[in-house]
Amino acid sequence: MTGHYLVLSAILFTIGGIGVLIRRNAIVVFMCVELMLNATNLAFVSFARMHGSLDGQIIAFFVMVVAAAEVVVGLAIIMTIFRSRKSSSVDDANLLKY
Amino acid sequence: MTPVYMAAGDIPTPHIEYGRLAPVLIVLGAACVGVLVEALAPRAQRYGLQVLVSVVGLVAAFAWTIALGIGDQPHHVAAMGAVGVDGPTLFIQGTILVLALMSMLLIAERRHEDSPFTAQASTVPGSPEERESLVAGLVQTEIYPLVLFAVGGMLIFPAANDLLTMFVALEVMSLPLYLLCGLARRRRLLSQEAAVKYFLLGAFSSAFFLYGTAMLYGFAGSVRLSEIAAAISKQGGDEPLLLAGVALLSVGLLFKMGAAPFQAWKPDVYQGAPTALTALMASCTLVAAVGGVLRVFYVGLETLRWDWRPMMWAVAILTMLVGAIVAITQTDVKRMLAYSSIAHGGFLLTGVIATNKAGLSSTLFYLAAYGFTTVGAFAVITMVRDAGGEAGHLSRWAGLGKRQPLVAGTFAFFLLAFAGIPLTSGFTGKFAVFQAAMAGGAMPLVIVGVVSSAIAAFFYVRVIVLMFFSEPLADGPTVSFSPATATAVAVGAFVTLVLGVIPAPALHLAQSAANQLFVR
Amino acid sequence: MNLYVPIVVLGALALLFAVGSVIMGSFTGPKRWNRARLEAYECGIEPTPQPVGGGRFPVKYYLTAMLFIVFDIEIIFLYPWAVAFDHMGLFGLVEMVLFIVTVLIAYAYVWRRGGLEWD
Repeated sequence: MTGHYLVLSAILFTIGGIGVLIRRNAIVVFMCVELMLNATNLAFVSFARMHGSLDGQIIAFFVMVVAAAEVVVGLAIIMTIFRSRKSSSVDDANLLKY
Repeated sequence: MTPVYMAAGDIPTPHIEYGRLAPVLIVLGAACVGVLVEALAPRAQRYGLQVLVSVVGLVAAFAWTIALGIGDQPHHVAAMGAVGVDGPTLFIQGTILVLALMSMLLIAERRHEDSPFTAQASTVPGSPEERESLVAGLVQTEIYPLVLFAVGGMLIFPAANDLLTMFVALEVMSLPLYLLCGLARRRRLLSQEAAVKYFLLGAFSSAFFLYGTAMLYGFAGSVRLSEIAAAISKQGGDEPLLLAGVALLSVGLLFKMGAAPFQAWKPDVYQGAPTALTALMASCTLVAAVGGVLRVFYVGLETLRWDWRPMMWAVAILTMLVGAIVAITQTDVKRMLAYSSIAHGGFLLTGVIATNKAGLSSTLFYLAAYGFTTVGAFAVITMVRDAGGEAGHLSRWAGLGKRQPLVAGTFAFFLLAFAGIPLTSGFTGKFAVFQAAMAGGAMPLVIVGVVSSAIAAFFYVRVIVLMFFSEPLADGPTVSFSPATATAVAVGAFVTLVLGVIPAPALHLAQSAANQLFVR
Repeated sequence: MNLYVPIVVLGALALLFAVGSVIMGSFTGPKRWNRARLEAYECGIEPTPQPVGGGRFPVKYYLTAMLFIVFDIEIIFLYPWAVAFDHMGLFGLVEMVLFIVTVLIAYAYVWRRGGLEWD
C-alpha cells in the first residue's frame, strides 16, 4: 500500500526535476522546486506510516515551514530581477558566463 | 495495516543543554537583536549599533567555543542528540567564527564608498529612485543581521547529528546568502542575476538533499546519523533505498561545497556577489559545507565507505581538474578565484575520502589555512579600484606591482599560497591532505592532485607575471587603503605565513581536535 | 477502504452543491447583463483598475502575500504543541514563548518599517 505512495512521490519528484531543467520562467522553475519538496513530504509521510513512527510526519512539518521561508526569499529575489529587467525568463539572465 | 496511534503519555520532555549550544545561540540571538535594532533604532545610529552587535556576538561566540574546547574533553551530544559538540565540530565552528569576523571587517567597510552593499535594495537599478537613495546616503543595514543568521546556520550545519537538523541548518545558512548576493552596490544587474541563479540552483539542490534524507529515513527508520550507521551494519549495504538515498544526499552536499559536476553556480555567484560577501562565502560557507560532508561521511556512512568511495574518487578527480583547467581561461579576477576555490574543494575531498584520523585532521587544517588566505585575497580585491568600483578585469591589474608593490606583493603571496608553494600555509595543507590520502591507499588521487596543482600554479603565476612584469596602465586602478580592510589583509597574510613556516602548533591543534573523531 | 467512504461522500456533496448552485442560478436569477457582472470577482469589493498593458498586480500584493505566508505557517508548530501541551509541562511553555518571541521580533521589524501599510 505505501509502495504506491512512494511511486507517486518519485513521479512527482521527477516531474519537478524535469520542470526545473526545461522551463524558462523563473517563477515556474521555482514552482517545480516546490513540487519536489512536496514529493519529499509525501515520501516522508509514507515512510512514517511504514515504520509506524511519527518522525516522518514531524519532518514534513519542518519541510513545510522551510519551504514557506524559501518561497518568501525566492519571490523577493525574482521580483527584484523582474523589476529591473521586465522579464523573469532564466534565459534572459545571461550577463554572467564563462 | 493498522493505523498508528501514539499513546498520549509517551512523549518524553526533551532537555536542551543551553551551555553547550551557546555559541550558536549567541550568534542567532545577536541576529535577533540586529533585527530589533533595525526596527527600533533611528536611522543615523543603525550602522554603528549593527556593527557593534555583530562584532560582540561573533567574539562572544568564539570565546565560548574556546571555553568549550579547553574545558573537559569535548565529546558530547546536545539537544537530545540532535547536535554534536565534539573536537572536530568545535574546531570548525571556531574557524567559521574567526573567518566571519574577518569578513565582517570587509562588510562593514565604509572608506571606499558608503558601503559595499546597495543603498536600497528595493530600487530598480538605473532609476531615479536609486540615484535619490544614493544621494541621500542611505545604507541597507539589514546586511548585518542577515550575515549573522547565515553564520548561525553555518555553525549548526557541521554540528548537526541528524539529517533534519542539517537540512534546517542548510536553509538557515543559504536563505540569507541568496539575498545578500543580490545586494551589491555596483553592477547591480550582475549581482541580482547571481542571486537568482544561486537561489534557483540552491533550492534545486536542497530538494535533492531532502529526498535523499527521505530515502535514508525509509531505509533506517530514523534520520539520526548514528542510527543510519547502525542500520547499515545490521541490514547490509546493498538496499536500493540506501544507495539512492546516499546518492541524492551527496548531490545536495557536494553542491553546497561546489564540487564538480555541481560547480556551475560558483563562478557566477562569486563574481556577481559583493566582494565582501564573496569573501564570507568562499571561506565560511566552504568550511561549513565541508564540515557537513565530513560529518555525514564519517559518522553516518562510514561503514558504507567501500560503496561511496569510487563515486567520491570520481568527484574529487573531476573537481580538481575542472577547477584547475577552466581557471586558466578566466579574465575576471573574482571568477578566477572561484575556479580556484572549486579546485581546492577537490583537494579537500581527497582528505574526506581517507576516512581516518589523519584524513580528518588534515582536512580541518586545510580548511582553516585556505579560509584565511581566501579572505585575505578577496580583501585585496576590494582595495584595487577603478572609477566604477573594483577593478574586476585581470587586464586592469597589469603593472600593479610597479606602482603598488606592497599590495601586489601581498596578493602574489596569497596566490602562491593557493598554488601550494612551500613556506605558505597552502603547501602545508596540501602536503597533509595528500599524505593522509596516500596512507588511505588513494595514490592515483594524489597523482591527479599534484598534476592539477601544477596546472593551477600556471595561472597563479601568470597573474603574478602580469602584475610585476607588465607596463602599468596609464589610467590604471588606484589602491584605496583603509584600516579595516588592511587589518583583514594583514591577518590573512600573517596566518598564511605562520601556518607555512611553523605549522606544528596548528597541525597539533587539528590533530587533537580530530583525536576522538565525531561524536555519534 | 471503508475509511474513505465519508471522504468520497463529502466530495460528491461538494460537487453536487457547486454544480447545483450554478445551474439553479441560471434558472432562478434575473438576467441583467452589465459591466460589473463581467468584472473579476474580488471578494465583493470594487475591482482595482488594471494598469494599461496587462493585468499586473502592484508589488504591494506580493509583499502582503509574503508576509502572510511567513506568519501563517507558524501555526504548524503551535498545533502539535497545543495537542501535547499537558505532557510538555513548563519546558514546552518556555520553548513556545521563545519561538513566539522570535516571530514577534520579525513582526516588530515589519511593523516599524512600514511593511503593513498599504500606501
